[in-house]
Amino acid sequence: MHIPFTERCAESSDVSRGTTGSGRPRRARLAAVGVVTVLALAPVAACGGSSGSSGGGKTLDMWTFKQSHLAGLKAAAAAFKKQTGITVNIEVYGPDDAYTTKVQAAAKTHDLPDVLEVHSDGEDLVLGSAGISKDISSDVGSDWSGLYQSSVQQSGTVTAEKYKESLPTDSTSHGVKQGQRFSVPFTSGTFGIVMGNKKALAAAGITKAPATYEEWLQDLKATKAKDPVNGGLSLGLKVKSTGLTWAFQPLAFAELGKDDYHALFSQDPAKDLASPNGVKALNLYSELQPYWMPGTQSLDIDGADQAFAQGKSAWDIGGTFTLAFLQQNGMQPDDVLAFGIPGPAGGAVPKPALGPLALTGLAVTSTSTHQADAEKWMKFLAQPSVASQFAKAATEVSSTELGADAATVMGPTLYAMTKTFAGTPENTYDPSDNSFRPAGYDQDSMSDIIADLTPLHQKSAAQTGKDMEKLNNSFWKNAQK
Amino acid sequence: MTTTPRTATTAVAGRPGTGRPAAQPATRTARRRGHEALSGYLFVAPAVVLFAVMGLYTVGYGLVLSFAQWNGFAPNWDWVGLQNYKDLLWANPEYAPEVRDAALHTLWVMIAVPLLTVAVSFPLAVLLNSARRMQPLLRSIYFVPYVTSGIAVFFAWQYILQPDGAINVLLKSVGLGSLSQPQGWLGNPHTALPTMIAVTVWGAVPVGMLMYLTGLQSVDRSVLEAAQLDGAGWWRTNASVVWPLVRPITSIVVLLNLRDSLQGFQTFLVMTNGGPGNHTNVLGLEAYRLAFLKQLAPTLGLASALGWLLFAAALVLALINLRVLRSRT
Repeated sequence: MHIPFTERCAESSDVSRGTTGSGRPRRARLAAVGVVTVLALAPVAACGGSSGSSGGGKTLDMWTFKQSHLAGLKAAAAAFKKQTGITVNIEVYGPDDAYTTKVQAAAKTHDLPDVLEVHSDGEDLVLGSAGISKDISSDVGSDWSGLYQSSVQQSGTVTAEKYKESLPTDSTSHGVKQGQRFSVPFTSGTFGIVMGNKKALAAAGITKAPATYEEWLQDLKATKAKDPVNGGLSLGLKVKSTGLTWAFQPLAFAELGKDDYHALFSQDPAKDLASPNGVKALNLYSELQPYWMPGTQSLDIDGADQAFAQGKSAWDIGGTFTLAFLQQNGMQPDDVLAFGIPGPAGGAVPKPALGPLALTGLAVTSTSTHQADAEKWMKFLAQPSVASQFAKAATEVSSTELGADAATVMGPTLYAMTKTFAGTPENTYDPSDNSFRPAGYDQDSMSDIIADLTPLHQKSAAQTGKDMEKLNNSFWKNAQK
Repeated sequence: MTTTPRTATTAVAGRPGTGRPAAQPATRTARRRGHEALSGYLFVAPAVVLFAVMGLYTVGYGLVLSFAQWNGFAPNWDWVGLQNYKDLLWANPEYAPEVRDAALHTLWVMIAVPLLTVAVSFPLAVLLNSARRMQPLLRSIYFVPYVTSGIAVFFAWQYILQPDGAINVLLKSVGLGSLSQPQGWLGNPHTALPTMIAVTVWGAVPVGMLMYLTGLQSVDRSVLEAAQLDGAGWWRTNASVVWPLVRPITSIVVLLNLRDSLQGFQTFLVMTNGGPGNHTNVLGLEAYRLAFLKQLAPTLGLASALGWLLFAAALVLALINLRVLRSRT
């Protein structure tokens, strides 16, 4: 893109030199001034913009933030080209924050690709409300959405609940309309999955997954005793929300049951985070304090997973998506013992299930001039045969319903993780359910407070509960304005 | 470059007896001056245009934005008046406590970084000034932190400061294991901010040292010789003669570091992102987070308001510094 500009500039310079040499210095000087001015302004005026999305009608551009998805997507793109003649160029940008910044910057400079992989039921709606991604509700019929697992078929759609969340002016998705759809699901899964290094566990005499939270604490104690340096638990706590959403919330749900867990985020002082229920749940979470891997509070998600893969921790909390990253870092799925965070023996839900949700989705950008082709590609990825190949290559749970083939495609470890999905509405922790929280609720701010309880050990459970209650009440106050 | 011969020609043409009317040279001179002025304006035009676009427009846009709620993409701004300022300072429990904590951390950085930078760079410059051999080499070595790519260095510091990083290993190997930090120097809420201050000072010392070195080399030797003749030793000479003479440099070093401490945040963003918890959050980082790390939440106006509050603080500091300089020099 810049080469023609350089050539033009070089030609202009040559012209000015020719004039100088002709013996007309005044004109030469003015010409030189003109050239200098043009050159100085050229980057702003001439070369400041870009042409937008992909050039040819048979080429699509797609961006993803998942390195582990690249190989699977490229393989699918090759098959897509063979079938349709359309080339799909896939680029990966990571980590998540960098990707978000990249997308926002590209939106400002009208340099977006045709298709974006996005975080489902959050980022997709935010991009939709900002006008960065297109509403595709009229194009996604039941023949398409029916390809997905039933639990995620509506992912990317502005449901009544999502619309209600978007109403406050400070909501990130403010401006969306009920019924709009800004993405289709691509990968599914859940978080709150504990992974143990089988070798480290065996050295401490542990051969099976713990049945209760208390048993898990005993196991943590055993691995820490066996190896005080590398026997602990890693979690990417530098990313604010991980401790709150991946560990505290599933534990609180298991301890209190669905209704009392929801009430923690209510305005009822008898049941909220500062109440005896809240303090009980916070105390339960803080029992992990002795077992955190040294420095885990300074690690991001990838750093914590890397530490686990490198044997610097015996346990790691992540999600179904973690296995692919571990594999990339040299750990085989068979080396990992995976299970959902177990509930406390005396809790209201001693054996909680972890509800699956769409983790990532695919969105068409508003600047794409190839919307039909982009949607053709997205629908192609949803086909069971393509999705199963992708799932195998990426070690990910596909959003497409794979039926009986799922176990074979995903392998035993990943398939074991999906068993944590099986439960009833009463005993399943649903991480996508925000209906009980105030609109405008910000989990990052809440996470800053809970980090002071554990791993930073700066505040008691009671004080943490009071601080969280105060912030939660302010969210309610804003939401009710 | 072409002006001299043209001027000479004009002067000759204007002399009496050359057969040319006097008015013609005057007109030509006026025309020449007009062309020179035009050339001058054309040469400064790019800078003026760029400043107008990138400076004045941006500043004005930012000021207006500080009274609005916007996420950067929505077609309309929601006007909120002074609410952004109120939210940041006291009204909103989501932002005000974070801003207060960040302000406290920033204050610590603003006190510690300039003081420590002066405390390290002045003695270093004095020692370096007295080194007769290898002074250029040593000067270059001490300047290395400043010219090394910031992001790469700050990542390297992260590794050094980890629980199993070089500093803990070094402390243990020399029998000072009790001083090591099991959670890493950036993982302990009590050591994270002091560590960040130390890293910031490490990055600021080279420029301070170089400025002091320049000042020391311009000190009149006769003043130092007079002090020595009066019986002042090395310590007394530096404390009572050299230090007062380089006071203006100290003011500049302090001012530059105050400004950096107030507005800088890159080191904090890369190394801690304000953590652990929120214990190393500073105002510059908070403004950046509100602007770019809130998942397109409509907090650009809040970020802008915080930026203007920082500007006001910087202005007050600059005025204080001007006043101090005026009374001392």
